[in-house]
Amino acid sequence: MIEVWNLIIGNPVLNVLIALSHLLSGNFGLAIIALTIIVRLISWPLTKRQLNSSRALQDMQPKMQELQKKYGKNKQKLQEEMTKLYKEAGVNPLGCLWPMLVQFPIWIALYQAIMRALATTPENLLDLANRLYSWDIVNQAIPLSSKFLWLDLGQPDPYFILAIIVGGTMWIQQKMTQAPTVDPRQQSTSRMMLLMMPLMFGFLTLMFPSGLALYWAVSNIIGIITQYFFTGGWGYLKFRSPSQST
Amino acid sequence: MFLVVIALLPLVLVSCISGGTQSARGWAGTTVHEGIIYVGTADGRVVAINSSTENLEWSYSIAPVTAPSSGLSCGQTSAQTAIYGTPVVDRDIVYIGTYSGQVYALSIADGEDIWVYPRTGSIGAIVGSPVIANETIYISSSDGKVYALATTNGKREWETDSPLADKLWTSPTIVSDTLYVSTFDGHIYALSLETGVLDWSFESQAGFASSPVIYEDIIYVGSFDNKLYAIRIGDSEPLWEFSGGKWFWAAPVVGNGTLYAGCLDGRVYAIETKTGEKLWEFDAGSSVVCSPVLMDNLLIVADESGTVYVFDLSAELGDEAVPLKAISIGADVKSSFCAHDGLAYIRGEDNWIYVVDIDKGELSWKVSLTIEE
Repeated sequence: MIEVWNLIIGNPVLNVLIALSHLLSGNFGLAIIALTIIVRLISWPLTKRQLNSSRALQDMQPKMQELQKKYGKNKQKLQEEMTKLYKEAGVNPLGCLWPMLVQFPIWIALYQAIMRALATTPENLLDLANRLYSWDIVNQAIPLSSKFLWLDLGQPDPYFILAIIVGGTMWIQQKMTQAPTVDPRQQSTSRMMLLMMPLMFGFLTLMFPSGLALYWAVSNIIGIITQYFFTGGWGYLKFRSPSQST
Repeated sequence: MFLVVIALLPLVLVSCISGGTQSARGWAGTTVHEGIIYVGTADGRVVAINSSTENLEWSYSIAPVTAPSSGLSCGQTSAQTAIYGTPVVDRDIVYIGTYSGQVYALSIADGEDIWVYPRTGSIGAIVGSPVIANETIYISSSDGKVYALATTNGKREWETDSPLADKLWTSPTIVSDTLYVSTFDGHIYALSLETGVLDWSFESQAGFASSPVIYEDIIYVGSFDNKLYAIRIGDSEPLWEFSGGKWFWAAPVVGNGTLYAGCLDGRVYAIETKTGEKLWEFDAGSSVVCSPVLMDNLLIVADESGTVYVFDLSAELGDEAVPLKAISIGADVKSSFCAHDGLAYIRGEDNWIYVVDIDKGELSWKVSLTIEE
């Protein structure tokens, strides 16, 4: 199982990352950023679907408010009508999770690739020899430097700056895409999600090598930019919730 | 939310359990001096074993230094007591550098420490072996510097002004009054033995994986671009390059004008030192991580899977490229080993010492380096 994983995902990500590092003057940080852009390009069809859903949810807001007024006291009926509305519009409110779920194998592979490529112990460096393709571009890049800006990419950021960036950009991205809901229970779930996810990723940034956190930060920033241009603005970041408008 | 938490679990487990990486365990090599084997163990001790009685003479535990960690990282704070280098014996003292970044001088009589440099703190992880000349011990460190210490009291005579590279994991080599060291970023530096001042340097496109070996003013060194380089001292271009299938991780050895190099591609190459022409090759089938050893007219090679090959370089008994003997010790081998009086002393990755009788082509005896509870 582990061999299959390494063959299909682990080693390709490792070698691409090292090759990118060589192309970018041996800068491993820039290689991670370049890989992030490549991953975002590959996952663009999924991202596009997510953005379409987000835009459709935004367009549905007046209808959702009407339903809230009409069935506000009958929660079951409201839920049924909302589900019907989602179905008619071809929108899945959980659809925004798929691009994230698809990225999990990439995160794991990237985490392993960073730790393996930076080879912090002699054992790791020796192990790396068995994972490299026979490309000149890869072999000429070894060994890599782990230094990027103030970061040691093989270690968590000791200054917590990256944790704030990851958490902050994730909050902005979520706020832009999270449609306001009329159901009070859903509202509290949404509020919790909006806080929990950035906090959780901020915490993970303190645990994981900063190379992986760099991937998260850049991926979030790309997400924000894409969202901004695709939906033509800041989305729900400046949108008032239905409860505020009533 | 639950989906996200469940999906993140593997990531957390991967980082905390294996992380796709291996911790520093060490692969200390063996030295034999006056019938005593000196070696570092997997649990951070230097031991002396009597090769006649097979008994432990003494054991010295390296003081653990906890590796600094940042953030809330899990699994990154192991005690770095690993030993990678090969001990060196000079007069009545055995010297060893440790991954915790200290150099130890121990009495060969009882293993008591005569001096430790630095007594507290660390100069950065030491992976290479020390070399001794003119009552001075020279050692390279992961802080990128070379240190020269007096063998008598460990007093620092000099250290390079600035780091020569991000880290130095190779061993220095000394020829007359010059010290040569190869770096992962593709340099070879020649430093004055007396002052540490730079005399000459060579720059290559690829980083150097092995320690340099010098024979008749030519440096032979393996690199990360799967090549073995021959560089004449003072030149700016290599004399020749020889391509293997993977890295030449171990330093080659030279005998009778021929270079013998083990490669991570599992082959042993015999190369003409002047021209770089391949004379023969042998496929061991498993990576050759440690340097070959010459004993009289025999070449002894241990591959990673633990098979010891013996080649007759005089070719009196047949083809030089066909091993006379192949002896399996039953343990992986990454450590440097030594051979004396027909016996090869090899430390296995299972933390045992294997003594192989080269003439008989069999395992003579073995001893565990692990302390029994």
